[in-house]
Amino acid sequence: MEKKVEKYDVVIIGGGAAGLTAGIYCGRARLNTLLIEKSLVGGLATYTNEIENYPGFPDGSTGLGLMDLFQKQAKKFGVKFKLTDVKGVTLKGDTKIVETFRTDYEAKVVIIASGGKPRLTGAKNEDLFLYDKGISFCATCDAAANTGKTIMVIGSGDAAIEEGMFLTKFADKVIVSVMHDEGIMDCNEIAKGQALDNPKMEFIWNTLPEEFVGEERLNSVVLKNTKTNEKIKVDVDSCFLFIGYLPNTEIFREQIELNRPGYVITNEKMETNLPGVFAAGDVRDKFLKQVATAVGDGAIAGYGAEKYIAESEVFKDQIMGGDLPGIVLLWNAVSPECRALLPVIEAFEELYKDKVKVTKVDVYKSKGLADRLGVDETPAIVYIKNGKIENTLVSGITLENIESLL
Amino acid sequence: MKEYTIDCLGEACPVPLMKTEKKINSIEVGDVLIVQIDHSCAMKNVPEWARTQGYNVEIDEVADGEWEVVIEKTK
Repeated sequence: MEKKVEKYDVVIIGGGAAGLTAGIYCGRARLNTLLIEKSLVGGLATYTNEIENYPGFPDGSTGLGLMDLFQKQAKKFGVKFKLTDVKGVTLKGDTKIVETFRTDYEAKVVIIASGGKPRLTGAKNEDLFLYDKGISFCATCDAAANTGKTIMVIGSGDAAIEEGMFLTKFADKVIVSVMHDEGIMDCNEIAKGQALDNPKMEFIWNTLPEEFVGEERLNSVVLKNTKTNEKIKVDVDSCFLFIGYLPNTEIFREQIELNRPGYVITNEKMETNLPGVFAAGDVRDKFLKQVATAVGDGAIAGYGAEKYIAESEVFKDQIMGGDLPGIVLLWNAVSPECRALLPVIEAFEELYKDKVKVTKVDVYKSKGLADRLGVDETPAIVYIKNGKIENTLVSGITLENIESLL
Repeated sequence: MKEYTIDCLGEACPVPLMKTEKKINSIEVGDVLIVQIDHSCAMKNVPEWARTQGYNVEIDEVADGEWEVVIEKTK
């Protein structure tokens, strides 16, 4: 089968809350946008039955219902959807390539919103009770539903212990299964001290989950003592797993800067280490993973994509392109020193009309063009000839000095 | 490498999946099978089954509520 090639302005990898929101922003900015999702649109949120903390829905919403609305909105703005796995990516350079098994998609911008998944224990029948059937991964999401209940927490890291303590505000009893010897936990010492003093918390040491038991919903967890092999059956209403989270970043590993656990490192503009590649949502190294925060990430990434593409066009056509040599003034509208140079550059422009192309770039709103010209201070003059940067002037900017660059 | 199409329009689960399994056994490795469906449950179970077999899968929404599941028999 011959591989097809299709061109898009933006390709979004991942159809969860972050990807869909990025799609809404890109589509609305009239960018030709494709969203690729490997299974079903909606992402991790669709595994949650009840979403009660997403603003705008005072009566709550199902995860599936909410994500369906996100997708409708993205479709309304012309975002195209492709349901398949991304096999590989080439993200360096101006044209990025996203490969699926039938098509190579070429894009100016790629937004990584591939999310992640909670790590599982591998215990027997775990798959039967995931998410809304009793095994949960998010205290913020499911604490209220466990008011007055008995809960088990698996794990002893910061997340397990801190979330476990949070759960004691709702549940009657929080039983923590810890794989280490009595008194040893992976969390910080402060959390450990507080947890051991918490009257609602109980610890079962040297244990790992062996089996999950229930009918429609989870009823009990069978733990196995790692030293004695003794099996302990504990009746619970829910079990929370806090044994880590795995970001879906395998295919980006060689190209995108990741932190140690594999999350994509971005700045506050959702930019990764590569120009034109953004990341949004749970796949990022971030503080809180929720639909509400994924939406914020997606909006920023979508807006950033539009700005990046607009800037690329100015850079290619206006600044580097054309037959005439070019002089670029990088200035900052809020700086008096910069503003004082405007008459100078205008005088130069008048003098070299039809001989030199003059561009003024205000860096106040975006540093993108300055970065592409390799300039990090203002005011600055860049001289461009034959599509190449010939010279840069950052001090002593006068009419004579500009002329002497030519 | 050949391309085959099976028409499962108007058919409810598990018929599309059964037809898919049958057809895929009769084609060669490297061939592509396109399953036309308009039942949303088939959109879930046909791709899920194909993925667990290790095949390449892509779903195209060809019209509102009508899909083509494209399966490449990779082994």
